Amino acid sequence: MKKTLKEKLAESRQAYAATGCYAGITEPRLLRSDPIAAELFHSRLLAALIAGRETTKMISGSPYVREVAELAIGLYTPEGHNIAQSTGIQAHSRPMGEAIQWMIEHDWEEKVGIAPGDLFWFNECSVAGMHPADVYDILPVFREGELVAWVCTVIMEMDIGAVSPGCMPVPNVERATDGVRFAGEKVGSHDQLRHDIVTKCEMSFDMADMFLLDRKGAIAANLHVRREVEKLIGECGLEWFRTATCELIEEERRNQLARLRQRTVPGRYRNVISFEYYMAQQPTSWLPAKRDVIRLAPMETRIDASGRVVLDFEGAGEWGWHSFNATPSGMWGCLAIGIVQTLSWDGRANLGSLLPFELELPRGTVFNPGDTRPLAQANTWATTIETFSAWMATLSQTYFMRGFREEMLGFRSAYSIAMVGYDQYGQRRPLLAACTGTIGSAASAVRDGLDPGALLPTPEVDRGNAEIWEAFVPHLDLSHRLDPYSAGAGRYRSGLCMPIMNLIHGGREIVGSALVSGGTYGILPNLGLSGGYPGGKLIRAVLHDTNVAQLIAERRPLVHELGSPADPDYARLIEARISHPHHVPEPFALANGDITIDAHGAPGGFGDPLERELEAICRDLDNGLITAEIAARLYGAEARFDTRMQSWQIDEDASARRRREKRAERLARAVPAREFWVGRSRQLAAREFDPLISEMYASSMKLSESFAQEFRDFWALPASWQPEVP
Amino acid sequence: MAEYDIYDVEDIRKLVDGELPWRTVQQMMKNGKDRDRFDKWVTILQERVSWKEKILLPLTPALFIVQKPRERVVKCRCGQEFGDYRVNWKLSALIHVRDTDEKLSQVYRGYEKPDPAWMQLREYYCPGCGSQLEVEAVPRGCPPDFEFLPDLDTFYREWLGRPLPESCEFADRTLQRIGEWAE
Repeated sequence: MKKTLKEKLAESRQAYAATGCYAGITEPRLLRSDPIAAELFHSRLLAALIAGRETTKMISGSPYVREVAELAIGLYTPEGHNIAQSTGIQAHSRPMGEAIQWMIEHDWEEKVGIAPGDLFWFNECSVAGMHPADVYDILPVFREGELVAWVCTVIMEMDIGAVSPGCMPVPNVERATDGVRFAGEKVGSHDQLRHDIVTKCEMSFDMADMFLLDRKGAIAANLHVRREVEKLIGECGLEWFRTATCELIEEERRNQLARLRQRTVPGRYRNVISFEYYMAQQPTSWLPAKRDVIRLAPMETRIDASGRVVLDFEGAGEWGWHSFNATPSGMWGCLAIGIVQTLSWDGRANLGSLLPFELELPRGTVFNPGDTRPLAQANTWATTIETFSAWMATLSQTYFMRGFREEMLGFRSAYSIAMVGYDQYGQRRPLLAACTGTIGSAASAVRDGLDPGALLPTPEVDRGNAEIWEAFVPHLDLSHRLDPYSAGAGRYRSGLCMPIMNLIHGGREIVGSALVSGGTYGILPNLGLSGGYPGGKLIRAVLHDTNVAQLIAERRPLVHELGSPADPDYARLIEARISHPHHVPEPFALANGDITIDAHGAPGGFGDPLERELEAICRDLDNGLITAEIAARLYGAEARFDTRMQSWQIDEDASARRRREKRAERLARAVPAREFWVGRSRQLAAREFDPLISEMYASSMKLSESFAQEFRDFWALPASWQPEVP
Repeated sequence: MAEYDIYDVEDIRKLVDGELPWRTVQQMMKNGKDRDRFDKWVTILQERVSWKEKILLPLTPALFIVQKPRERVVKCRCGQEFGDYRVNWKLSALIHVRDTDEKLSQVYRGYEKPDPAWMQLREYYCPGCGSQLEVEAVPRGCPPDFEFLPDLDTFYREWLGRPLPESCEFADRTLQRIGEWAE
């Protein structure tokens, strides 16, 4: 009798639990017996997936797909295990499989029916996914009446029918505000969408045309992959296909373990990060949500003798009524996208890449709220990206120990202003320009970070063409210049950010909001390595009631770069009423002539800034990537501009003297750590804290006795000590 | 894999010193990893320090875990020692805390400055040479982060296949030092 999908899934899990090998494959033989055939097989799967992705880009009309390329396609076993993944936003490789497994476990085969040509949608993030804007198009692949694989495409939507701005809204806290969710809904058959579903979409989304074009692109991609899989099975036979796809997963598991043993060092590694969620002033009707909180997230990484890695988030603070909570699925997704950029980058990433990892996400924390069904989840990325950006710094440290300095890689979360309103064509709709690709990468130990174009969620980060965004959004792009102040200083500096400056033009009744891909603002993320500094804080400015029209009429300059953060160009060159919204702003009104500015800061530098080569500083000066003031203040380099040669010169002797002085100044101003410890311990005993910081510690202590114990022990506080919560 | 053991010590030295062209570095990243990288890496570092103790593990450009006659300690390239590697080395460092507007302004300007009411920027210096060893950006009150506690015996025995002469318990001893301070 034919086994059900549910039985197959249970068997696969049991086999893994019993053997530690995927599907119980203790001796992968098939692929090893014919390496050429194995290579061809994998290449054809990968080629089908990548070609499918490119097909989607040609069909879609959304700049999120065509410009930013926020999509990916995966092939899955009947049990929902990822076999291969296209290029693109690979955070979904595991969550898409979780969605399929959820359908299997909830009797889809029996109660909904799964037949050849059936189409399913999924963006139910309380089950699986990164946020509801990422919609999964799922297609089963059959052979002789048996389901033999699944194809799944993910596309990020500009509009998912959420409250303003329509996708990734900030003020929303309840599920209903999050837009339309699909939990494995069967939306079509015979490779065609149902008429009633199409009608529902047309009624639900302001940008239904974009949504439905994306679906057509995804269906085309899925059909292409299905056809290629059918051809492959026809050539190699079903049993060979089954065994080979399972072995691809098991081989990747083994390879990942080998990479971990080759590039890291067993032991315990720690980092700590915090998130700021500002909800007190947000316009929400669920009043318990209206509070500002900071949440601590200590992270401990343990690598054991086998190479297996445990990421333990014991001590993390509580979940809250906001859309920024992470979920286990989202955490796995962000881990996947992190490691695909450094450990498993060879195109063979699949479920096997993740099997050597284990996530310990205590229930009730911001990483695992438990019952997420009532919650809005529009901004799960905010917490997951921030977390894994910091974790990448930890991983980089282990690479350094092994001498693989070139592999060090790091990121930081990024933000951009989002809007909703009437566009230049008179339509009311979301106005989201995804400009988060304007942030740089962290420094490695052999070179400076990338300027800019480095973002954890996608290895192929792209800001897109200004002209395309201008056609979609009623704004004019004022600047594509790098911000010299943004870098995290170090022996190698981080990449610089490219601030976004847009002049609102041609729209009406526009409301500003934000795309939130991180959680830090007033507290910088702990991203400096080995003496390097983290980059500065996000600088967000909105210039209202400007004199831009007058400046243009008089042919005087507008603002095109940030300038010094202490005396920014926008404040000097433009007459305006200026506000500085934080990273999760309350909605604000925008009018034509207003200017919005986002400058992200940057990840961390590597090494002592006083050891940066003078030649590199001179090169940065000549390229406008640093100022003479920064060179002197942070790097101890004395530079002067040679007006005759129109280039910068560094005075090596004066710089050497200045650096000696700076080292002496360090020694003079510093105190022994014990002195610091005594002072801090007294402050803690006296509970001299900002109320939000006190509440942050109280929240972690409430959930974790071991965190509380270690905290008290470190500061030698009595067992009864608790932070004072107002 | 043997076919990737193509870099000699001089190649790795150039990598360490940032002298390789980016294309070459990219190719190194694309290739499989050289199996003996760690040994070449430690050889280069050992030649650059004036002291004689054997480097067991590089931690940062300035800090190493080294083998003393009876213990394994963290040591700066200048020779300054920070004690048992199982105790957070930061407890033996000098520290400068930036938690006021004025102090943070020396690093971050104007609107890029973090909030001094919430955050501390802690700079850890070597008492011997004044090198900036680490910078921490953490909420006020956060204990110093103990970034790395490597399991040296497992590493040498299981991963490198050459056990260290004497094993030592893999445990965090930081709180013992705190206990001594508290007394």
